[in-house]
Parts: sequence; C-alpha cells; structure tokens
Amino acid sequence: MKHSKENYSKEHLLYLKKRKNNKIIVLSSQIGLLVFFIFMWELLAKIGAINSFITSSPSKIINTLGELWTSGDLFKHMGVTLFETLAGFFITTILGTLIAIILWWSEMTRKILEPYIVVLNSLPKIALGPLIIIWVGSGTSAIITICVLICIIITIITMLNAFLSCDEDKILLMKSMGASKFTILFKLVLPYSAPNFISMLKINVGMSWVGSIMGEYLSSSAGLGYLIVYGSQVFRLDLVMTSTVLLCILAGLMYFAVALLEKYYNKKHR
Amino acid sequence: MSLLKLEDVSLNYHSPKGETIALQNISFDVNDNEFIAIVGPSGCGKTTILSLISGILKPSSGRIIRNDNSENFIGYMFQRDHLFEWRTIWQNVILGLEIQKKKNSQNFEYINSLLQKYGLYDFKDKFPRELSGGMRQRVALIRTLALNPKVLLLDEPFSALDYQTRLNVCDDVNNIIKSEKKTAILVTHDISEAISMADRIIILTPRPAKVKKIVELDLQKYGTPFQRRECSEFSKLFNEVWKDLEN
Repeated sequence: MKHSKENYSKEHLLYLKKRKNNKIIVLSSQIGLLVFFIFMWELLAKIGAINSFITSSPSKIINTLGELWTSGDLFKHMGVTLFETLAGFFITTILGTLIAIILWWSEMTRKILEPYIVVLNSLPKIALGPLIIIWVGSGTSAIITICVLICIIITIITMLNAFLSCDEDKILLMKSMGASKFTILFKLVLPYSAPNFISMLKINVGMSWVGSIMGEYLSSSAGLGYLIVYGSQVFRLDLVMTSTVLLCILAGLMYFAVALLEKYYNKKHR
Repeated sequence: MSLLKLEDVSLNYHSPKGETIALQNISFDVNDNEFIAIVGPSGCGKTTILSLISGILKPSSGRIIRNDNSENFIGYMFQRDHLFEWRTIWQNVILGLEIQKKKNSQNFEYINSLLQKYGLYDFKDKFPRELSGGMRQRVALIRTLALNPKVLLLDEPFSALDYQTRLNVCDDVNNIIKSEKKTAILVTHDISEAISMADRIIILTPRPAKVKKIVELDLQKYGTPFQRRECSEFSKLFNEVWKDLEN
C-alpha cells in the first residue's frame, strides 16, 4: 500500500533522508575531487615540484583561453571541430541505421556482405586516412569521411543485432494479423530497437570525437585537433592542454545531450 | 459440416543434415464452436500444426480445408503475451485494426465493449508493465479478438504464468471464448489443462507425430475449467491420457 506524502512513517522518512544524504555525498565528492586536482596541479606547478613547461598549469590554461578569446580563434577552432564531429555523428547514425535496415530486410544481402563487414570492422580505419585525403581532398570533407568511416561499421553491427534480436513470435503475431514486412519494420522492429538505438548514440558520441580528432591529426588547418598537433610541434604545451580541456567539455556536453534524450525516452516508455 | 478439416497432412523439415519428418498423416476435424486441445510429448510438432492451420507453413502433402471465407479466419495467441511495451493497452489492442487499416468507430466500439466486459476498460491508457500477468494475457486475447477471428489458435498460452494465475486466466479465457462464440485449438503439454478446457483432446505420438488417439470429453456440464478439475471423472481421464502419452 502506498501512503501519501503527509503520512509517511518515520522509517520511510529516514530512508528518504538517507537516500538524499547519499546523493549529496556523491555529488560533493565529485566536485571536491575536481577542485582538489586543479588546486594540486596549480600548487605543484607554482612551487616548481612539476615542470609547468611540460605539464602546463590551470592558470596558464586560463591565460591561453584568454589569448584565444581575444584573437577570436577560440570559437573558430571549437566551431570547426564541433561541426566535423556533429556532421560525422549524424551522417553515421542515419547512414548506419539505413544500411542496417537494408541488411535486416534481405537475408541474402546480409549473408553476402557478412565477411566484408567483419574484415572492415577489424581493419584499423585510420590506415585508410592517407588514401581518403587523396580521394576526397584534404580538409573538412576528408575529416568527416574519416570520422564516418571510423564509426559506421560498429553502428551497422550494433543496429543490425538489435533488429535481429526482435522476438520471432512477435513477428509471427504481426504476420498472423496480415502485416507486411514494411509494417513489421515500422510498427515493431524500429520501436523495439529504440533502447539499443540510444546506447548506439552514446557509443557514437565518443567514437565521432575520436574520428574528427584523428582526421584533424592527419590533415587540417583549424580545429582543436589541429591546435593539439600544432601546439606539440612548437612545444607550446599550454595550447595542447587547453585544447584537451575544451575537448573534454564539448564531448561531455554532447554525451549529456544524449543522456537527456535517454531520460526523456525512459520517462515516456519505461 | 466441419469448420476446418485436416486431411492426411504431412510435413517434412529440411536441414543441411537431412530431412526430418515432423508430421505424418495427421487428420482431424474441427467443428464450429468447438474447443480442441492437442497434447503430445515435447518437440513432437504441436506448434507446427498451428503454423499449418494459420497458413504460415505449407504442408508437404495432404490438405487443409476451411469451410469459411471470412477475411480474418485465424487469431493467434502465444505463450507470452507479446504486448508491445511502448504502446498503451489501447494502442496494443487496436494493433490488428491498425495493420489492416480498419480503424473505425464500429470496430472501436466492439473493442471498448470487450475491454469493459472483461474488466480492462479503466486500464486503457496504462502501459503493459503496469498490469499483472493475468491481465496482460487478457489484453493479448482482446487484441486477437479485435479482428473478429473465427478460430483461435492458443499456443501454450498459460505456461508462462504462475500456477495460481494460470487457473484464474484459464477460467477467464475459457469464459471469453465461450461468450464470444469462438472456436479454439489449444496446444499444451499440460494434461490437466487440456482436460479442463477442451471438448476433444487429440493425442499425438512422438516425432514423427501421428494422431494416436482422439478423446471425446463431456465435462462442460460441470462449469468452469476450475470446477471441471474437481469432478469425479477428472483423475480417471487424466490417467487415461497420461498412459496414452507414455507409450
């Protein structure tokens, strides 16, 4: 039996309080850890225990950020990488899901293409980088292509497995009601695979950042990956560290957006 | 005239290892409004018979004759309810109408009357996870009934439920089938379930399955399946069917 809020028992109130306290402890520890890390980094750099020329320091990172801001480069570089990553992410998601649908639809195609997918999956896609630059030209298009290439195979495999895991009896049920394959796809298989779709998105957030940064390492004239390579070549490790921090923030935000989507889905359906 | 007739139906399965005879010369009639139970050792091909009747599989030889040409002749009910978790109860029960593009007020009225009659109307807008196992199975039955099939194919529809629920759902489903005047073919490995529900039991041999014996029952007079379980003939019938299954 459920009680209304006013007449919770003492025991239940205690339970709720304990739960809340736990949450507070976890969150404050998480923040505390970060603050402690930044503080120690700064302190050790200041007293010379670590060489801030190699490790940089929080204050130097902030200075570098300020410089990038005043020169107007900050948003240019962030924007370039973000654009490449998002383009790679969306192209991969849409194209990968479409290919997975085609493979689900036709068992013959699936069987024929299986060995190719397996080989492509184990191939380190970055090895194709130089080839891609020659084919599509250096710059943004090459970077997006590399990004898509790195993410798409695993997307196809994940989504195909999700589609194929759909209960045979559920498909039989739809068939016994006279459903066409098209109807089965849209009314059963796709909504059934929604949770897998969301976890695929989560994986692709990480993968598409790998893709775009790898692409920028190979060929670029702007972007956070470019700054990292450039910074390390001219030994400006402040720049490398700053770019890495910015990457952390952007990737975190993107993951957070997908997590929000998941929360919304779960609220509606679970 | 019987509603459905199986004449010398055989079915072979093909696999790379060879050919397996699943069903051999199966013949029986199903009359209108009759409740038939098919029992047999596990793996003998009981479910295959339902797939043949529903037309999902074609027999290797023999004929299946249906003396009725209504559009939705068959309705399927499975071991698990297979409700779609992302749809509400209402959206689940109208699935068939949606597939066949028959969403109209007349059909909706019929579904609403079913929901009302079987105590599910207040749960229309809930999701399947909010319902008990027994209620879910009733929803699954109404989803099947929504297309107004002549014959219901029940593939072990109670075996995923706990014993207590099973007895209740058994009564519910029997009640619904009788009051909606449906013909039913139940596949089960549970002898007492078969005896308590059916008018006739078809006993199959191990693979390749043949019809071993057809047992006529006359327990309708005792009331619900639960009450039939308590009648004096029950244990005698149980032993009879049990022996036929054994050897």
